[in-house]
Order: sequence, then C-alpha cells, then structure tokens
Amino acid sequence: MTAEHEKTVITLYVNGQEYTAAVEPATSLKHVIREQLGLTGTKSGCDAGDCGACTVLMNGQAVTSCLVLAVEADRAEITTIEGLAEGSELHPLQQSFIKYGALQCGYCTPGMLMASKALIDEFPEPTREQIVEALGGNLCRCGTYPRIIEAIQHYRDFEGQRFDTEPGAADEHERDQERDHSIVGRSVTRYEAPDKVTGQAEYTADIKLPGMIYGKILGSTVAHGLIKKIDTTKAREVPGVLAVITGADVTDKYYGVSPARYDEQILAQDRVRYVGDEVAAVAAVDEQTAEIAVRLIEVEYEELPAVFDPEEAMADGAPLIHPEDPKYANNINTKVEWHFGDVEKGFTEADHVVEARFVGNRPYQSPIEPHAAIARWEHHGRKLTIWSSAQAPHYTQHQLARMFDLPMSSIRIIRPPVGGGFGGKCETTPLELCATILAEKTGRPVLMQYSRKEMFYHFRGRHKQYIDMKLGVTKYGTITAVKSRILLDGGAYTSFGIVTAYYAGSMLPTLYHVPNYQYDGYRMYTNLPASGAMRGHGVPQPRYAMESLLDMAAADLGIDPIDIRQRNAMTANTRTVNDLDISSCEFTATLEQARAKTDWTEKHGKLPPGKGIGIGCGGFVSGAGYPIYRSNFPHSNALIRVHEDGKGVSLHIATAEIGQGCDTVLPQIAAEELGIPYDRVWLAESDSVLGPTDLGSYASRVTLMGGNAVKMAATEVKRQLLEVAARQLGCDPAGLSARDGKIFIAENPTTCLDWDEAARQAFSQSGPVVGTGHYQPQPGLGGKYKGAAVGTSPAYSFASSVCEVTVDLQTGFVTVDRFEDFSDAGTVINPVTFHGQVEGGIIMGMGETLLEDTLHDQQGVLLNPDLHGYLIPTIGDAPRIKSHAVESFEPHGPFGAKEIGEGCLPPILGAIANAIHDACGVRVTELPITPEKILRGLRQQADTGEKHAQQ
Amino acid sequence: MEPVSYTYHRPQSVAEACELGRRFGASGRFLAGGTELMVDLRNGRDMADHVISLRDVDELRHIEYDDDMLHVGSLATLSQIAGSADVLQAYPTLAEAARGMAGVQIRNQGTIGGNFCRGVPCADTPPICIVGGAQVQLVGPDGKRRVPASEFFLGARQTVRRSDELLTRIEIPEQPAASGASYQRFSLRKSQALAVAAVAARVVLAGGKSGKKATIESATVVLNAVAPVPLPVTACAELLAGQPPGQDLFAEAARQAAEAAQPIDDIRGTAAYRRHLVEVLTLRALNEATERAGGEPA
Repeated sequence: MTAEHEKTVITLYVNGQEYTAAVEPATSLKHVIREQLGLTGTKSGCDAGDCGACTVLMNGQAVTSCLVLAVEADRAEITTIEGLAEGSELHPLQQSFIKYGALQCGYCTPGMLMASKALIDEFPEPTREQIVEALGGNLCRCGTYPRIIEAIQHYRDFEGQRFDTEPGAADEHERDQERDHSIVGRSVTRYEAPDKVTGQAEYTADIKLPGMIYGKILGSTVAHGLIKKIDTTKAREVPGVLAVITGADVTDKYYGVSPARYDEQILAQDRVRYVGDEVAAVAAVDEQTAEIAVRLIEVEYEELPAVFDPEEAMADGAPLIHPEDPKYANNINTKVEWHFGDVEKGFTEADHVVEARFVGNRPYQSPIEPHAAIARWEHHGRKLTIWSSAQAPHYTQHQLARMFDLPMSSIRIIRPPVGGGFGGKCETTPLELCATILAEKTGRPVLMQYSRKEMFYHFRGRHKQYIDMKLGVTKYGTITAVKSRILLDGGAYTSFGIVTAYYAGSMLPTLYHVPNYQYDGYRMYTNLPASGAMRGHGVPQPRYAMESLLDMAAADLGIDPIDIRQRNAMTANTRTVNDLDISSCEFTATLEQARAKTDWTEKHGKLPPGKGIGIGCGGFVSGAGYPIYRSNFPHSNALIRVHEDGKGVSLHIATAEIGQGCDTVLPQIAAEELGIPYDRVWLAESDSVLGPTDLGSYASRVTLMGGNAVKMAATEVKRQLLEVAARQLGCDPAGLSARDGKIFIAENPTTCLDWDEAARQAFSQSGPVVGTGHYQPQPGLGGKYKGAAVGTSPAYSFASSVCEVTVDLQTGFVTVDRFEDFSDAGTVINPVTFHGQVEGGIIMGMGETLLEDTLHDQQGVLLNPDLHGYLIPTIGDAPRIKSHAVESFEPHGPFGAKEIGEGCLPPILGAIANAIHDACGVRVTELPITPEKILRGLRQQADTGEKHAQQ
Repeated sequence: MEPVSYTYHRPQSVAEACELGRRFGASGRFLAGGTELMVDLRNGRDMADHVISLRDVDELRHIEYDDDMLHVGSLATLSQIAGSADVLQAYPTLAEAARGMAGVQIRNQGTIGGNFCRGVPCADTPPICIVGGAQVQLVGPDGKRRVPASEFFLGARQTVRRSDELLTRIEIPEQPAASGASYQRFSLRKSQALAVAAVAARVVLAGGKSGKKATIESATVVLNAVAPVPLPVTACAELLAGQPPGQDLFAEAARQAAEAAQPIDDIRGTAAYRRHLVEVLTLRALNEATERAGGEPA
C-alpha cells in the first residue's frame, strides 16, 4: 500500500522509448506528455474528455489523456502522434488525411489520427459505420468530418507510398471552363498539412521559451458591480507567484475593436459588467500555481442590478451598464436607422405580405484550440514580441501599440498555427494585454491561455438577434419591400458589435433585388459576455428570417421556393438599393443547378411525412471595403524573394491561416503567376518583422485581397526574370511566358530557358530578386449615408444550399441526411480547400441551427460553458454533403477568385428550417430548432386539427 | 479548471481498498476509470483529499458467465462490456447500452462500477441492469452484501454504498426463456451526449412461449434521466402482467410511465418534454423487448 503526498516517479514507454517522470498525484497523462516530455503534438482542448484532441493510445487503446492520471499510466505503452510515422515515412493514414483534405486548422488532427489508428488496428478495412463509431469522441470544429471518413476509407491506397504535394484522388473539381492554369484550380496538398499530421506544427501554447512562466486571470463573480476592495496578499504569498496585477496596475486607456467605441479596460478599475469580467491577473512558475493564487485574490463588490435581456435593457430606468458615457443612453450601444426607397409605398404595391418575429441564439465559435498568447520583452525591454493565436495579428499589434504607447514597429507579432477561429480570435484579448504587463513586471516570457470555461466567458460569439421582419411580394413573388427591425444582444462590451449591427441590415439586399428597404437595428448592452464577430458576421440570423419568409410567401402564393428566389435573384453588375456594387454574380446559376441536381421537383412537397427538402440561400463579402480603424494603408501586402539558386521563392505576407486554407491558396497564386511548381514556394512564417501587413482573416478577405497582393508581387518578380530571359533568348520580354518552371516564347514554347537559370542570372547580375505587391479595394465604395461603409466589398459570393432532413415525428429529433451546396465563389483556386470550407460551413451552420446556444442563469452565470453542455456536431451528426462550385469570373479577384469561407454558412439555417417545414409542416422561428420546439409545433398542429399537409 | 490536489493511494486488494475507504470516509474517493471523477474534481463539483485508485485490483476486471449468472466486475470498462462474448450471449442489451454511451475513448476508460457508484441520474448501465434483475455485490469490512440494483440508488449522486464498501461486481441472472430487453435512449446528438431521457424494459412471455398467442408473464419498465434515481414503474408491471401484447395496452403503459416520471427542467430539455419522451420511449422499448422475446410487437 502506498500513500503519496509528494511526487511519484513513473516510467512510460512512449513511441517505443522509455521515459521516467516525477509526477504529482493529480497530474494528467496529457500534462506529462506535453509539458514534461515535450511531445506537444498531443493537443489540449477541454480537460474534460469531451473533445478528443488529447487522444493517445495507451496499451493499444484510444484514451483521452486528459482524464488519465499520470500515476495510473505507470509502465504503460503510449503512442502519440509523434510515433505514428515510421521514421521519415508518413503513415498511410497521415498521407490519406493530407490527400483527401481531411484537416483544416489541424488542431483536432493528432487526436483524430490516433483514434483512427486504434480503429484500423482493430478493423483494417473499416466500414463507414465503424469509422463514425470510432471517431464519435473527437470533435472537429472545422467540420472536416466527411473528408476524414473518406481519408480513412482510402488509407490503404497509400501503403508503401511516398508523400508528395501533387493533387490527390480528391481533385474532383468540376470545372466548366477549360483549365488554363497549371496550379490555380488544382487541389495541391495543403502547405502546412505534413506538419499538422505529424504533430510538428507548433501552436501558440506548444511553444516553450527559456524561463517562460504562466499567467492566469481572475474573472468577476458578479454580473454587475463596483469593485470596493481587492486584497492580493494571500495570492502574493503563494510560493512560485512572481507577480499579481489589478486595475491599479493598468493604463486608464480603453481598448476594443472600433475606435468609435473603445470600451474595455485591461483589468476593471471600477466596474465589472458581466460574470467573468477581468479583475486581476497572476504570473507564476507554472499554470497550477497561477490557478491556485488567482483564487486567493479577495475582491469585494458592491453588487448592482443587472440586466440580461436586450428589450429590458432598453427600457427607461433599466440599470445602465456604461453610465460613464452619455452616448450609451438606454444601453443602446449602436443604433442604425436606414430607409432606402419608399417602404410604405412598397408594401401598398404588394399583393401579399408575410411577417414574423424570429429569435436567434448565442452560438459560440468553440474552436478546439483555446486562445493563447505569449509576451516577451526583448532588447532590454525596448521591444516586445507577442505570439498569439490571432486571426488578425495586425489589429492586435495596433491595439498593443496604442495601449502601451509603443510604436507599432517596436512590437513584433508572430502568429503560429491557429487551431480554428471562426471570428472568435479576431480581436485583442486580455491574454496579450495581461501577458505583456506580467512579462514586463517579471522580466520573463509569460504564456497565458484560456481554459475551455474561460473561452465561453470571453465569448465574442454570435449576437442573439430579435428580428421582426416583414416581406411584401406581388402575386408573382416579386419583392416590393422589406422591413426589418432587429434588437441585437451585444453583451457587456462593443467588440465587433457596431459592424455586426450594420451587417445585420446591409447584407440583406445583396442577395435579392429589394426595391424598398427599411432596417432599424439596435445593438444593446446587457450584463452578459460580449458578443462579437462569428463566421458570417451578423448575417446568418437575418438571412434565416428572410429565407423563412420567402418560403412562407411562396407557399401562400403557390409558388415553388426556387422560383420565388429566381424571380428576385441578384444579377451581375448591379448597384443595390443600399449602394453596394455587385460585380460578378452567378446566383441564378446556383439556383438552376440546385433545382437540376437535387431531384428538387420530384421531392419538394412530395416526400412522405417526416421527410423533407428545403433550400436556403446566402453569401458574403469578399473582404470589407474599409479597414477597422481609419488608415490609407493597403489592406494586403506581400513580398516575394527569389532564392539565390533559383529553385525556390519565399513568400512573405503576415496573414493568418486559421484552417481556411490561405497558406495553401496564396502560394498557389504565387506559383501560378511566377510560373513555377507549387512546391517551390516557401511561405515565411506570419511575423510582422518578416512580412508586410495583411489585415487578417476576417470578413472572408484573404483569397481576394491577399491573393491580389501576392499576385502583384509575383508579377513584379516575373517581369524581372522575363527581362533576363529575353536578353538570353534574344527576344522581346512581352512575348515570353512562364509556366511550370520554364520561361518560353509564348508562340514558340520550345524556345525556352529554365526558370531557375533565369533567376540565377538575375541574382548574379543585380543581387536579390524581390517583388512587392499590395492591394487596396477600389476607392469610393459604398454610398454617402451613415454606416454606408459596412457591407461594401470588392466582390460578393452567392450560394444556394439544398438540404434533406428526417424528422422523428414522435420526438421531434431532426437528422440532416444530405446537403447539396452550389456556391459561386468566383474562380476556385483549390477545390479541396474550397469544398472543405463549404462542408465545414454546412456542419457549423447545422450546429447553430439545431443544437447550439450558450445559456445563463438569472445571475448571469453560464450554464453550459463546456463541450458536454454546449453540444457541437460530432462526426455522426454530419450529413452526406456534395459541394458544387458554380464559377463566375470576378474582375476584382486574383484569377477571378472571391470568398467562400463565410458565405457558405448563412444559407444553412434557412435551408434546414425550410426542410423541417417540408417534412412536418412546422415552422420554427426560434433558434436553435430543438426537437422540443418541433414537437410543440406538431402538438399545436394536432390541437388545431390541421392535418399534415405538404405545401 | 480548479487547481486540484489530493493524496493518491493504490491498494493491492479489495480488503486494502476497503480499509482505505474506511479510514478516509467522506474525504476519500475510489478511482476507477476516472472519466467522471476527474472532471468532477476539476470543475469543483466534487472534492476529495484522498483518491484511492483501484488500478491494481485486477480481480474486479473480469466478466464471467457461468451457468446461471453473468458476473460483471466493477472495473470492466464499457468497451469491454460492449464487446464481451459473455455479455453478448447472456444479456446483449447491456452490451448495446454500453456501446451507445459517450465516445470510444470514454468507453475504453469508464467502468460499469463507476457508472453505478457516481450515481448520476442519467447513467446508462443501471436501468438495463435493473430490468435484468441484477444484484450489486458490495464488499466491506463486515464482509459481502448483495443489494438489488433497483435498491442501490438513494438519490441523485447518492447510493447505498458506504464509503468503506467497494462495489465489486454486478450480477445478472440468466434471463428467462422467451424474454427480451430493450434500452431506448434519447439524446440531442449522435455521440458523446448524455441521455435527455431513456427507458429500459424487459418483457417475459408466459410459459416460455413465443409467437402470436403469447401473453406477457411479467414486464419491467425502468425510467432513466427523469428522476433522481432510475425509476421502476410498478404501474406498468401491474398493467402488463398476464396480458397479450397489444398496441392499446402498450400505449396505456407508456402513458402510465410518463405519469410516473419525475423529470426536471435543465439545459437539455424541459420536464414536460422529458415526460413526453418517456411515453414515446416506453412504447418503443416495450415493442422491441416483446419482439426480442419472440412475441409479436404491437
């Protein structure tokens, strides 16, 4: 019998090697693997066995290493992701994952692969059902499930194969146009995929710097209150604590996203506005010590009345959440009042009017990687380096410069791989800010990361919208007017909320011709965690309302849902009623294909009870027309340097790969324009010292904007090399082309020079061959009215999504059986990453339509801040999906490309809602559409004696 | 995540474990698979100064089926149960219930003993054991005692097990001829989700006879996740005994089950919805159990 108070020495056989480690009783196996053995390929996502990111094999069985005590694993054989490849040869599963595009942000990938390994060890040729059963415990927020299934089904094809970057079996792009590019339009493998399938990719929290210490933040326990007293004595006395900070240690300045509404403090100096509002922070030698110390800080609050409902918040006499600023009277954070055309006249011209109140939900992005940041002061405290899981590193750099009175160039921001963002990692967090202060106070690098629970409190998820929408149509279904009044629950701070409030209105008339449009939007402060920008920013819930109303109107008028959409569909080269310029648009083609390729006519209204088909449409901007803070800087900038031997180039651009694929698409654009093979492009790390600014991965902007900058830089490099080649070949450079590593006379391709030879000559003659590129949207986008900038974009995407569901008429449970998506994203640069984004958008959209909502009690305490209370779709929930590209050529996009990452989500809510209605006649106007709400609808139907009637 | 610290003990036998349990009383917790205990300790739902690991008590891992009894050791994992030839032969519905739980990692770690002893009102294995007539064997300083599984649970997270007692195994008697069981579970997504409501049922047909003319000798219905404990519905048992299976009869039984449920509102569903689910799931469970017993489903 042993009784251990102190550390126990254990022996582990990890990937065939023996290790010993001294561990405390409560130390998890995950902690030992990651922190003591340094095998950071095993990821940490939830510490509760919910996400599966930390899956390893223990004595051959898949286990979540967060739930295994290290002492219990003594003498066990452990296989981690680092042990999957055999020497330098990737395991067939790893190769198959790469070729089938079965990873995006890559954070769930090691756990997914280990669970797959356990599966194939037991069943070498698993069926789809076996795969789904084996991976049910591994969450992928990028929604890569369909590709993961495919990759596992085909892994045996890679037995004995060597890895290459050539397009794999999944290069199934259906392309109408003749393929006139060698790299653009092809499914070359993801640039960073080999690192992500081997566990080599180093995410922020995987980085270990010499002398690094750990920080933790204390959140408020009350939803609204004044801080009367903070006593940090006990926390400071904990051995290993190196610094404790409170509001007294931070600047009086406020920060945030939009300069018009900076309303957050690094740590509260006076008032707390939601449960979790940051009050104090601790740095200590390890995370556990910081956790202990932060809980010993004693805070005395004077509690104030709190308000959690936006309607109540607006009422006179409601507690004011930001009394310091009179512009926030009645807790209105942002007010939008837009009137375009003559709405009343539009409704009088209508033959039919439908209206309803739609209530949204508060979904949370829930990336599997928790937010993390490291701050280190260098050069004797004169320069600051930040590593951050940031989607928009530039804005974080900008805020840090503002808050700490530093020139931006004194701050170096490095963006390691990001394990999913979906909008939730767009803004500067207390992690970067507190880590900077704690690093300064201690003289040590400080790592801070959120726990899963802290992520939910930090939030910045989707605004819950209360939407009153009214739609007028002629008897033929032509829209005459739309009126929309929306209350947005913004939570305690502004975050991206101004933009959200505008987007909720501005994007409605981009999809259909709306001649008369009124939008009144009120973004409200409440004592809840702040809402922010989530994939499809502000758009999905109003789109759900509109798509539902269109189906309702169509049913009333006896028009087919696709017909009513076609009648009103946006067309190319149009200025919308709210002065947005639509250039390329194949929306009608997406609708036509949706009808032709889904058996729509045979199925809609004709399926047996409980089975239904529905359509939803949507789209998004391809980047915002204006930056978040005023600046005339180009939005995207790139630099390409040719390597001295001519066999490769470095592409420098400080953008953010968050799983959406820009680290692949941008090198493809570079390679295409340069005329070299894709695998000759070396992408420089996203680092503000190495690469020129890119505004970041938000508003679905990188393919178009970053792509244009990269293409321009590549053109500049190519121009220099063609001149060298022209001299060599004795011809006019204008007659030369470059492709696949050759420079040749376009009209006589056999007269050619190797690209690398031209590059070597260029370097020998005049030193480094460098090209730069930049991109700024065309000036003057948008109208002249207040808020006209939001919604402007160089280009818009369009999508029609058709879904089939089965509704269990007894329980109300919805199974989404199938999705067919038809998206106009311009020219598709990489089909596999394109389809991966669409599929993931569908699965994420399905989650927020059917499952997801963050819930709170009457004190503002969250009821489900974890991944077993907040349910996101698992592999078993994912429908079969077929994604179709309906290409247009976008004149403002590189090679005609525009966005896909966000526009693929807004159609999903309406598509599912409409399919449910088709299946059972129930129209649910409140998200999420839970089985219980459907059942309530079925009961009401029964009570009112209605029969199941298909419209 | 709460910072957690406790003393770790690793007894080598049941007797040693019981002795530690006695010594630490309410401040000690037995650790089996850890899939619930670890999470509860980290989020502050449970606290312990002493964690008593059962890792080395190998005798508790066995699953055995001898002539008239299925013995499931308390440390048998859910995966082990789901794949056990003995369980599949003797009482396949238990294997099915285990397989429907959580995800594969949790099933590889979590144990049936833990599933019982944590006493969570939506635990999946207890109801199906109860309808199968299981007994729970507890070993303590005073020796062994057996408790019917139906009497093991006192309330949410409360059981009859004393802190110095170890649940060593679940004993499920051989199922009567012409009997069948079913476990119907409703959750909000396809895997890794707790039951919102669930119903276990066993139907035994009279005289071991199956087929069209069969009548029900006895039927047991146990509701899950709709009361602090797995809830046997005696009204159903009384209603069904001696009757031929039939749609109206089962519908009435389902209504009575719904009436007997004591559901609450929580983030997964309202009480009213749960009550409705009980009715639907009871009907499905009775039909499936009858069919498996060889009778004609209603």
